[in-house]
Amino acid sequence: MNFILGFYTGIVNGLREVWAHKFRSFLSMIGIILGVAALVAMVGVVQGMIQNMRIYFENAGGITRIFVEDMEPPVEQQPFAHLSPGRTYNDALAIGAGSTFIETVAPQLNIGWRRIQYGREREHAPLRGVGPERLSTMNQGIDEGRWFGDLDMEQASLVTVLGGHVVRDLFEEGESPVGQKVKIQGKMFTIVGTLEYLGTDEDRRRNPYYWQNRVVYIPLTTAMKRFNGDEKINELNIFIQDVSVMQDAIAQVENILLQTHRGIRDFQVRTMEEQLAEFKKLERSFTLALGGVAGISLLVGGLGIMNVMLAVINERIREIGVRKAVGARGYDIFIQFVAEAVVISVLGGIIGMIVSVGLVHLLKSVVTSDEFRIVLSPDAMVAGFFFSVTIGVAAGVYPALKAASLNVIDALRYE
Amino acid sequence: MAVFELQDVHKTYKMGSETVRALDGVGLAIEPGDFAAILGPSGSGKSTLMHVLGFMDRPSSGQIWFEGKEVSRISRDRQAWYRANRIGFVFQTFNLLPRLSVVDNVLLPVSYSREKMPDKRERAMSALERVGMAHRADHVPNQLSGGERQRVSIARALINKPSIILADEPTGALDSKNVEKILALFEELVDEGQTFVMVTHDNEVAAHTRRIVRMRDGQIEEDLRR
Repeated sequence: MNFILGFYTGIVNGLREVWAHKFRSFLSMIGIILGVAALVAMVGVVQGMIQNMRIYFENAGGITRIFVEDMEPPVEQQPFAHLSPGRTYNDALAIGAGSTFIETVAPQLNIGWRRIQYGREREHAPLRGVGPERLSTMNQGIDEGRWFGDLDMEQASLVTVLGGHVVRDLFEEGESPVGQKVKIQGKMFTIVGTLEYLGTDEDRRRNPYYWQNRVVYIPLTTAMKRFNGDEKINELNIFIQDVSVMQDAIAQVENILLQTHRGIRDFQVRTMEEQLAEFKKLERSFTLALGGVAGISLLVGGLGIMNVMLAVINERIREIGVRKAVGARGYDIFIQFVAEAVVISVLGGIIGMIVSVGLVHLLKSVVTSDEFRIVLSPDAMVAGFFFSVTIGVAAGVYPALKAASLNVIDALRYE
Repeated sequence: MAVFELQDVHKTYKMGSETVRALDGVGLAIEPGDFAAILGPSGSGKSTLMHVLGFMDRPSSGQIWFEGKEVSRISRDRQAWYRANRIGFVFQTFNLLPRLSVVDNVLLPVSYSREKMPDKRERAMSALERVGMAHRADHVPNQLSGGERQRVSIARALINKPSIILADEPTGALDSKNVEKILALFEELVDEGQTFVMVTHDNEVAAHTRRIVRMRDGQIEEDLRR
């Protein structure tokens, strides 16, 4: 009770002192203010970067994606390695039919860059052959028209779905591409649908989805039969139902592929785990590095408070003497000065939070891009506030102890 | 029962290699209602005696009874309690806190007394009334003259109804007109039963008191009652 009352009185007196020495108080707070603001801004930058990396990661299918890549077969299999057909459309069909842990199998044939022509407008775009299931694995919806169906696959139809960027380049505003025909490598394709434009910026450096918006899709069978003339695919993505069945799913996929590849191990099943680990490592080192910088600036802020408190105590030795003479214990003086440090650091922390909001908005207006976004993190604000208060109080303890231990007679005599 | 009773009190300091005997066997009794002046040249030990009486310092040896209790070896916190609750201080330079209003200055000992006092503001006002400063309660010390400030500090000394008021050169910083007024106030308080001890080197001021204790070289040279 005495403690609470003493502390309350100390806070009131502390506020009075801060108010009486506005400029000095502001100077002592500035370290804390900048420290909190720096912490929040840095966490904002890091979180923005991490969020971006997460988008890339999720675009790549996230953790539930596994994929099959070509591999040099083992030495003992090399004399008859030609018996394997390699990765083909058949692999995808076999996995889809044979595995129980699979959500989606998405085979793909990347044709490469091709010229797309509509009337007199032309555009270069990466051309991809994909199946009907591919849409569900994308983070993108249909803007207009439709996606490919089983019939397109069966008939290897000359139909295409255009990415948002391609639509913007080839067509006038308001003009509907669906039903129009474009020429790709001498063949006339009917546009059956268009994809949503991802992101907002058309500048490639600022839009993380820039390349995705440029893709032109055709049915996988069309790509195989009318462009390459065989059944080979060059991407085989498999989405499993859940991370927990990852190992079983990999084993199953390997078994099925050994069948279709006639026992030749010319493939390997890979997961996103390496990428995820890499991503997590990057995230951690960013957080530590920038958190460390912000922590140091807060520490410097704390030293600023300690410095000012020490100066204040020297200035107020006489006052301490008077207070002790009329009955203050060392403890009362200690509480008084700690309370002043609390007032300074709490005010500094609050102002720091306000400044951090402004700083984050300023940074946002300077670097407006989808790729480099800055997030205002309430967690970082709260953490910065409490960290600053802790440091402020800790910085106040030594000067307060010094004040508390002053001898009453010497303090009264001090000029 | 005496307010203070001192028996063979010694206080020695080390100053460099030299040992200073600030108090060298002091025996003294201060009775309730005493109005005493401690006189002596500088270095005679009168300030040290004042500090010992004011619970700011402890004797190196000897015994001190305060209202019948042996207090020469009590803890610092206990000393602080006595300063807040039993002793009133008046200083030469007033020692008011410039940032606090007059009434808050008067209430300062109350805030450290750790005793319940529900009517503290009323008591502060009546203490100010007693010294004729109630009309200045909400001013800050810088707005007051020297004589007025000393009155406020006397009100501060009175607030906890002390057993004794200790005054250290209370008129040293005042002009002669104010010296008279303050001394008159002291006399009034003594007439009301307040025990009062002041340190001074001014014989004229000492002449107003009813007991003169002369000190030299840490010892009491003469103790005269009138």
